[in-house]
Amino acid sequence: MRDAFDLVSRHRVAAVVLVLIAFPWVMPYEALAINILIFGLFAVGFNLLFGYTGMLSFGHAAFLGSGSYLAGIAIVHGGWPWYAAIAAGTLGAAVIGLLMGALAIRARGIYFSMVTLALAQCVYYLFYQADSWTGGENGLRGVRVNAIKVFGVELDFVHPMTKYYIVLAFVALALWFVSRVLASPFGAVIETVRENDRRAAACGYDVARTRLVVFVLSAAICGLAGTLRALHLSVVPIESLHYLTSGHAVMMCLLGGMGTFFGPFVGAAVFLYLEDVVTTWTKHWMLVVGVVFIVFVLFFPRGIWGSILHWARRREA
Amino acid sequence: MTQPILAAEGLSMRYGKFLALNQVSVSFERNTLTAIIGPNGAGKSTFFNVISGAYRPSFGRVIFEGRDITGSPQHAFARMGIAKSFQITSVFPQLSTHENVRVAVQMRHSRFDMLTPRDSLTELTHKADRLLATVGLAAARRRPAADLAHGQQRCLEIALALACEPKLLLLDEPTAGMSPEETVAMMDLIVTLARERTVILVEHKMKLVMGICQRVIVLHHGELLAEGSPEQVRANAEVKRVYLGQGV
Amino acid sequence: MGEITLNLLLLQAIAGVALGAIFVLLAIGLSLIFGMLGVVNFAHGAFFMVGAYAGVYFYGLSGNFWFSLVLVPLTVGVVGLAVERVLVRPLYGRGIDYPLLLTFGLSYVLVEAIRILFGVEGNPMGPPALLRGAVDIGVGHFPTYRLFLIGATAVIVAALWLFIEKTRFGLIIRAGAQDPEIVRILGIDISRVWLLIFALGIAIAGLSGILAAPTRAVTPEMGIPVLVESFVVTVVGGMGSLAGAVVAGLLVGIVYSMTSLFAPEFAEMSIFALMALVLLLRPQGLFGRTGLFG
Repeated sequence: MRDAFDLVSRHRVAAVVLVLIAFPWVMPYEALAINILIFGLFAVGFNLLFGYTGMLSFGHAAFLGSGSYLAGIAIVHGGWPWYAAIAAGTLGAAVIGLLMGALAIRARGIYFSMVTLALAQCVYYLFYQADSWTGGENGLRGVRVNAIKVFGVELDFVHPMTKYYIVLAFVALALWFVSRVLASPFGAVIETVRENDRRAAACGYDVARTRLVVFVLSAAICGLAGTLRALHLSVVPIESLHYLTSGHAVMMCLLGGMGTFFGPFVGAAVFLYLEDVVTTWTKHWMLVVGVVFIVFVLFFPRGIWGSILHWARRREA
Repeated sequence: MTQPILAAEGLSMRYGKFLALNQVSVSFERNTLTAIIGPNGAGKSTFFNVISGAYRPSFGRVIFEGRDITGSPQHAFARMGIAKSFQITSVFPQLSTHENVRVAVQMRHSRFDMLTPRDSLTELTHKADRLLATVGLAAARRRPAADLAHGQQRCLEIALALACEPKLLLLDEPTAGMSPEETVAMMDLIVTLARERTVILVEHKMKLVMGICQRVIVLHHGELLAEGSPEQVRANAEVKRVYLGQGV
Repeated sequence: MGEITLNLLLLQAIAGVALGAIFVLLAIGLSLIFGMLGVVNFAHGAFFMVGAYAGVYFYGLSGNFWFSLVLVPLTVGVVGLAVERVLVRPLYGRGIDYPLLLTFGLSYVLVEAIRILFGVEGNPMGPPALLRGAVDIGVGHFPTYRLFLIGATAVIVAALWLFIEKTRFGLIIRAGAQDPEIVRILGIDISRVWLLIFALGIAIAGLSGILAAPTRAVTPEMGIPVLVESFVVTVVGGMGSLAGAVVAGLLVGIVYSMTSLFAPEFAEMSIFALMALVLLLRPQGLFGRTGLFG
């Protein structure tokens, strides 16, 4: 059993991708599966900052949203091809992450969470005001990508299953990158900053710069998720930048398991599936989600996947 | 070359109206073992925190190997070759004992490398193993640091400080909370370490340090009261007065 | 845009003080809870909103504004007691993020509960007859109710200051904020203190809700921008300081008000710009102490 575990964790990217390849076949409809992929990636980006580095941001909607908007603007207003739009959205989100992070990291301890919320609200207002580019309250419409040409092969982006696997290709790439970072020397530094930043500094690590780098990486990954979302929905709703969307990232991460590799996807899947089911019975989904979240904070802080891992490791010991 | 490795020039630390350190000037020679002693509230911790980079002094300078390093950020100190251990154990609790030391060793090798798998950096692992052996923690290498006994954690503190290959080792009450046997072992370790590098030790258990140190610095009410060899300090009338009944 | 006269500027500044008054109250509540318990209350905006709705309810029921003004902080405070006891207390010692996460989840519950009870449209509340209309304050006519707001806030802040500086309980608050261990060693039941402080902070949030209700739209979402604004004030002023909450609250209110006179599209941004400036120049806040909870 232990060998099986070790094998899986050494090839965690492949394991997760395999699960995700099979995933749409067990979901009631493809759009939900695509949504879970996208929000799973969003949660992975958030998890890098919160679960692994210990920085609780309440402003991550700024990266999902700006990634979506920048990709959308590139396509709608700039007529750019899909791959340039994705690059623009991801890079743009990273730049916003650099600016936000440089300010937010100056706030020590718990102030950090408050500042990220405030700065994300600022980004929201900026995009809201620039309505000739973003469509303001109505969001950005017409982000239409019908076909994707890769190595001469034309893929139909409108067909849900094809769309899912195209999005999965990007998610897999991002996951591979995150896995490399976590396994690298920098990944070890991230852990020391989380565990004991005073000690990390005494050992010679520049804690502030490390935090900023992780912040930017996190922003880029969430930005990529945003670009994929824009392409998937063909619109960019203003709610993408709203504080509630930041809350989604927090909730999915906690529900799934902070600081675990697969947890964010579990969290996204559970959250979105539950939303899908509950909203058919009642429109008071927010109440359900709030209560569930409170229960998890009090009783299951490791989250679903985190608890499973913990239980499995205890049985091995 | 008789340039002192570290010199404190007129160090003062003010908190509002309270002066925790008052114009302390003292220098430390290379490869010596010096102890800083004084009664509680003497300013030992404040002085330690200033020379180890945790605080910026209100006035005065810290000179390391001839360079003014006053106000340098904390992380610069280890890179320059000044390492410290904390009075209240400060390690990476959830990481294994081995990983604690390995990541500290890694600092000299790479800090922002995001793509190399760190498992492939075997020389770091070996260095960490050697350090663990030096402080006697080889057997505990896989246990999470939080699970170590107090005395073992103090040893881990030392290992973390040694990991950055320091020229100057600053130890803040390394034997705090240790049993008599552990204390003797720690003192032996410190004497061994002092053969190859400069060590400055803050202690309030005076008997411990008098036998092993080459030089003793006495602080009192934030000021330099006396300095010299252990014999000189022991004979100093002021010191005797301050430590009345403490059995110098 | 008409002429910008000195009178207009002064009027706008006083409007900023009225706006700032609400910020001051919110920041004090946040700061009390954080200073004493180390908990950042993410539900603070939601409790403000609950206070506004409680005000609508009691005022509608009784027709008496003053009676409602007393009843709202009491009822919201009682909710605060229950929340601390049942939800927040189990999390002490678990790490600073957990109470924050919990109060964040709580804000969802509160907003949706109000939607269920009162609907999603919003319930406006007007000022009581006595405080309607405007008054000539020398530089122009100014809404009577907003003058009342400024006065009421000054009274509340003064009362809190007296309470903290001059009473025994206040001494415990100050000591506990410096060093919780001391308070425990002195044999004082610290958990009882925390309970009351949390409830007090929440009660103040609720009170600021009913006070603010006649000046803005009372909707279930009204707490969200307010939460963001409270955080900005807290970062600007520095946590754990009554003076900081007052100065920063008024400053943010005035900055917002003056910006909306000259460049209304940038009014929202102006407070973030202020926050950014403070973060760059003095990250611990204007009155914050370096290293305090840092």
